[in-house]
Amino acid sequence: MPNIAVFIEQRDGAIKKVAWQMISKARSIVDAAGGEVWAVLLGDADASAAGAHGAHKVFTASGAPFTAYNSESWSRALKAFCTQQKPDLLLMGSTAMGKDLAPRLAARLDAACISDSIDLNWNDGFVIRRPLFAGKCFADVTVTSATAVVGIRPNAFPFTEGNGAAATTETFDPGLDGFTPKAHVTSTHQSAGKTIELTEAEVVVSGGRGLKEAANYKLIEDLAATMGAAAGASRAIVDAGWVPHANQVGQTGKTVSPNLYVAIGISGAIQHLAGMSSSKCIVAINKDPNAPIFKAADYGIVADLFDVVGPFQEAIAALD
Amino acid sequence: MKIAVCIKQVPDSETRITMSGPSPKIDSSGFTRVLNPYDAYAVEEAVRIKERLGDGCEITAITIGGEKVLETIKKDCLAVGCDKAIRVNEPAMIGAEPMMTAKVLAAVLKRDGYDLILTGKQAIDDDSAQVGPMLAEFLDCAQATVVTALEIGDGTFKATREIEGGSEIVEGSLPVVITCQKGLNEPRLPSLPNIMKAGMKPQETVTCADLGIDVPAALSTITTYTPPAPRAQCKIVENDDPAAAAKELARLLREEAKAI
Repeated sequence: MPNIAVFIEQRDGAIKKVAWQMISKARSIVDAAGGEVWAVLLGDADASAAGAHGAHKVFTASGAPFTAYNSESWSRALKAFCTQQKPDLLLMGSTAMGKDLAPRLAARLDAACISDSIDLNWNDGFVIRRPLFAGKCFADVTVTSATAVVGIRPNAFPFTEGNGAAATTETFDPGLDGFTPKAHVTSTHQSAGKTIELTEAEVVVSGGRGLKEAANYKLIEDLAATMGAAAGASRAIVDAGWVPHANQVGQTGKTVSPNLYVAIGISGAIQHLAGMSSSKCIVAINKDPNAPIFKAADYGIVADLFDVVGPFQEAIAALD
Repeated sequence: MKIAVCIKQVPDSETRITMSGPSPKIDSSGFTRVLNPYDAYAVEEAVRIKERLGDGCEITAITIGGEKVLETIKKDCLAVGCDKAIRVNEPAMIGAEPMMTAKVLAAVLKRDGYDLILTGKQAIDDDSAQVGPMLAEFLDCAQATVVTALEIGDGTFKATREIEGGSEIVEGSLPVVITCQKGLNEPRLPSLPNIMKAGMKPQETVTCADLGIDVPAALSTITTYTPPAPRAQCKIVENDDPAAAAKELARLLREEAKAI
């Protein structure tokens, strides 16, 4: 009977939706295997939805150490939770915070640590699937430590609204009395104008060298705005300085797995495919019928992107 | 100041991965081995810090691997400005999980004592991104991951790290483990004379026994490797009028793929 804990990531009280995705997945496993789903929240945020998504209990610790993220104190607090409650798994989103925190916690617990996982199954033990070589192959992994810390890629699982049941809430002692971290986050900066984060987006529209010049990246941004999508880019146009590295999709950029990925003027180098091939539906617009992107795509148009993108944007806008 | 740069040799990003043999394994026979690209930013940052601080600064490149890694140490570390190298030669560490790697590297780092430990934000083979934060925990020191700007002061550091939709500034005291992201710097290429001279720089080879530790036990096991499922044939929307094709594509995405 496995008990699965899920870390509820919050920044300034805003909860990342990967938390609800992980809770829904964990609930589907314990419904079959027995056990419970425990949400763990550090700091102040409204986690009342955790019950509706499938958590049985919510454990919280609040106070000054949790007003801003800190790898040293937060890893100590989560170790205190794991020592007290002994979950079989602790799931954390593979986000900027989760990737910083999970390995430090695992080292502190001497627990198995699996990053960026995309599937989770129970068969008298957990089997965790994760990509290697940026998605060119997948490994199924089993763990032997009492608790394992498992990072889950955002959007790997859908989330269910659930039955609306309320979870019971308990507080726990994070054990931080007298602890002073050696480093602190002193400020955060949000990039202006960008509202949808690539790794969390349901739809991603990316542009490549086919755009011909930097100014034409506006076509990608406009289409992305119409589709409610995040705007991505190939390595070629990032290296050329047309767009910031934060927009790069690929092995040395971001790995995305949206419902819909639209590749425009991107040839589909193996480096790029590695970052987006787990997308559920892939669309390619490219004038070269032999471009490798068409081997990865579900739908394609072989034509000059400058003839297609405008009408495509109009057609999307005209949909109900 | 003593700077350590922890590096890994990996297959380059254009490598095709094929699975071969009766038991699951990845065929590595055709790999082109290179310095992990994110570790190249770590090496470059160490060299730039030394250029600013002067000769009181010493850079040690540290890695785990067999003899194949020697070329990477020479050409990509010593020839671009690292002063010496330590290689842990331990065949039992081939394919080791990140926790094992971190425990062995931490033994080297604790033995010698460093003020600044630089490494890549992740290796592009297993993509785990775990070793940096694990080292910080084992050394009981500060960490900053996915760093795009770094300032070193008198016993202090200030790092800019990438987060969703922006960045955050982490400040604290040395020692610190920094994991390096693209954008931190532009790595230099080694010159031919420097590659020749690199062979003269000190290199130490150690085993786990030399470090006074056992080879760490694995806490996880890879049971199966699977290639990605082949995608169905791409449906090309054919129409001589690109605008009509665009409209049809939008319809298919809505009605057939239910993707929008």
